[in-house]
Amino acid sequence: MEPSTGTPTTLPHPRSAEDDGAAPFWSPWAVGTLVATGLLLVGAVVFHIAMVFLSLAPSNAVTTRHREVVNAYVQPEFGQDWRLFAPNPQQRNESVGVRLRTARAGGTPAVSGWVNVTAEDIETIRGNPAPSHAHQNMLRRAWDGYVNSHSPKERPQRGRLSELSSTYLKRVVLQRIGREWQGRPIVGLQVAGRFTAVPPPSWTTRQTPDTTTYRVLPWWPVTDQDYREL
Amino acid sequence: MNTAPFQRLARFACATQAPYQAAVFRIGLAAVITVFLLREWPHRRVLFGDRSPLSYDMALTLIEEEGTFTVLSWWGGQLWFEIVYTLTIVAALAVMLGWRTRTMAVLLMVGVMSLENRNTLVGDGGDNIIRIMVIYLVFTRCAQAWSLDARRARAARAGGTDPSADRTGVVLWSVAGALLFWAFGIPLQGGWPMVLWLLWAVHGVWYVVNRRLPGHEVRSVLDGIAAMLHNAAMLVIAVQVCLIYSTAGWYKIQGLRWQEGSALHYALHLDYFTPWPWLSAAVAGNAVLVLALTYLTVAAQVAFPFTLANRKVKNVLLAVMVAEHLGIAVLLGIPFLSLVMVVCDAVFLPTALLLRVGRWCGRRTPGPSGPVPRGLATSAPQPATPEPARSA
Repeated sequence: MEPSTGTPTTLPHPRSAEDDGAAPFWSPWAVGTLVATGLLLVGAVVFHIAMVFLSLAPSNAVTTRHREVVNAYVQPEFGQDWRLFAPNPQQRNESVGVRLRTARAGGTPAVSGWVNVTAEDIETIRGNPAPSHAHQNMLRRAWDGYVNSHSPKERPQRGRLSELSSTYLKRVVLQRIGREWQGRPIVGLQVAGRFTAVPPPSWTTRQTPDTTTYRVLPWWPVTDQDYREL
Repeated sequence: MNTAPFQRLARFACATQAPYQAAVFRIGLAAVITVFLLREWPHRRVLFGDRSPLSYDMALTLIEEEGTFTVLSWWGGQLWFEIVYTLTIVAALAVMLGWRTRTMAVLLMVGVMSLENRNTLVGDGGDNIIRIMVIYLVFTRCAQAWSLDARRARAARAGGTDPSADRTGVVLWSVAGALLFWAFGIPLQGGWPMVLWLLWAVHGVWYVVNRRLPGHEVRSVLDGIAAMLHNAAMLVIAVQVCLIYSTAGWYKIQGLRWQEGSALHYALHLDYFTPWPWLSAAVAGNAVLVLALTYLTVAAQVAFPFTLANRKVKNVLLAVMVAEHLGIAVLLGIPFLSLVMVVCDAVFLPTALLLRVGRWCGRRTPGPSGPVPRGLATSAPQPATPEPARSA
């Protein structure tokens, strides 16, 4: 219904039945305003849906060329990722462990054994109908964030975000552990991931992959600054 | 020239479509947010507040990198955080009850965005949906049914008082204006401050027109624009839900584990998603059940958008989807993600069913303002948003 195609004054007043005898017909300016708004809305809806669609679609003819345009519109408010369990669900359990270095009175540092931090999360989730994000997401995603921003050789790959993700992972772990280990202040820590493959279902002929692998991160120093606000 | 089709289109576009679906969506979304925030109350400061491992200065870095908006970047202390967290719960309750919905929906949007964006590293898919949907909700007329706003409007009409003499509304609006000025001053650039100021200005214009020009055509034009905006927002919500299912489904099809029907087996063995190990083991132990559920999940997700063309098939699939989400909520221990998906599904429920549930919920449940809103008579049992976007 472009303004030129109809005779605007014959459009019925949408509220004429509800409002006690309000003007039964639209005047031209009203029709113009409504039509213009309508067209604007149609354009906005089409554009919005197209952008969100392109942000979700696999890399294609349009997005390889216009990725920045799409991202600039969609991020951050409408950014989304619905690939939980897709294309394949995760097929291994990941545990984050930590060992600590403490100052000893004589000056020689002592190193603790490995502590499984993830196990505490799992323990809390068991039997809980509504697990908290603090247990289900925080450590898990802190580890993912570190892995996604570092090379397998632990080189930072995403600038400030890499630095942020390693500091964040360190602080998530420190918040669980506290300031002291067996009565002595913590001066350093080392984080590691342990990956245990889920055994495939019994009917498959696939071999159970030889099951447990590790990724051991370098030692990080711990200072008072690392505990700020914790 | 025959203008009848244009008139029909105009009448359709300028009437508020699917008011009951919008109301269910509003109540459901606000309820999920309320329960979520109350559940996280013991952990709130660690997740989003002043005791987060993402310290205030780190959060500022992340906000800058991601370009997000949060009022929690203004100050880092506990007091400000507690105010924002509490106000967000209050706003969610107000939206759920439909009290001053158009204002409270904006407050809820700002609150949810502020909390989620304070630490984007603790969220999951559920947070992602909530964060997007609260934005869409602002543009809907979601309080026409089952709300205190609707009841107040009806009472005013029945009592013969002037519904536009709205002292509470004026107070709310003035306070909101003062807050905006205190927070942003006069914004010279675009972005969220500008959006919030615009919404505030629209509320003001709406009040003035209601008060001074109640029977005037300007009032009807504004009403038509608000209805069109509502219809557009409902369409976007519906499409967004379809995009969620399509993405989830089509990407799964490409996965070997989904193809061989073992995906659920693996999901049921992930430590983070097995709150009831005996239950997960019982389901995973049945290879045929695992196969059936795995295939059903992919088929339903891929099929969903296409079933909207047929009302009966759509309703059957909706029931399947809701049942599956409730199952996932318990089995995988992700209730908030599952419940918010159920809320999204509810947008597609038939009006007749919603009315029946509404009657069952309470004889005195406030209905939509006016008799039955126009558009319902014709579009009653249809999908929530039958293409308002084609209108103009």
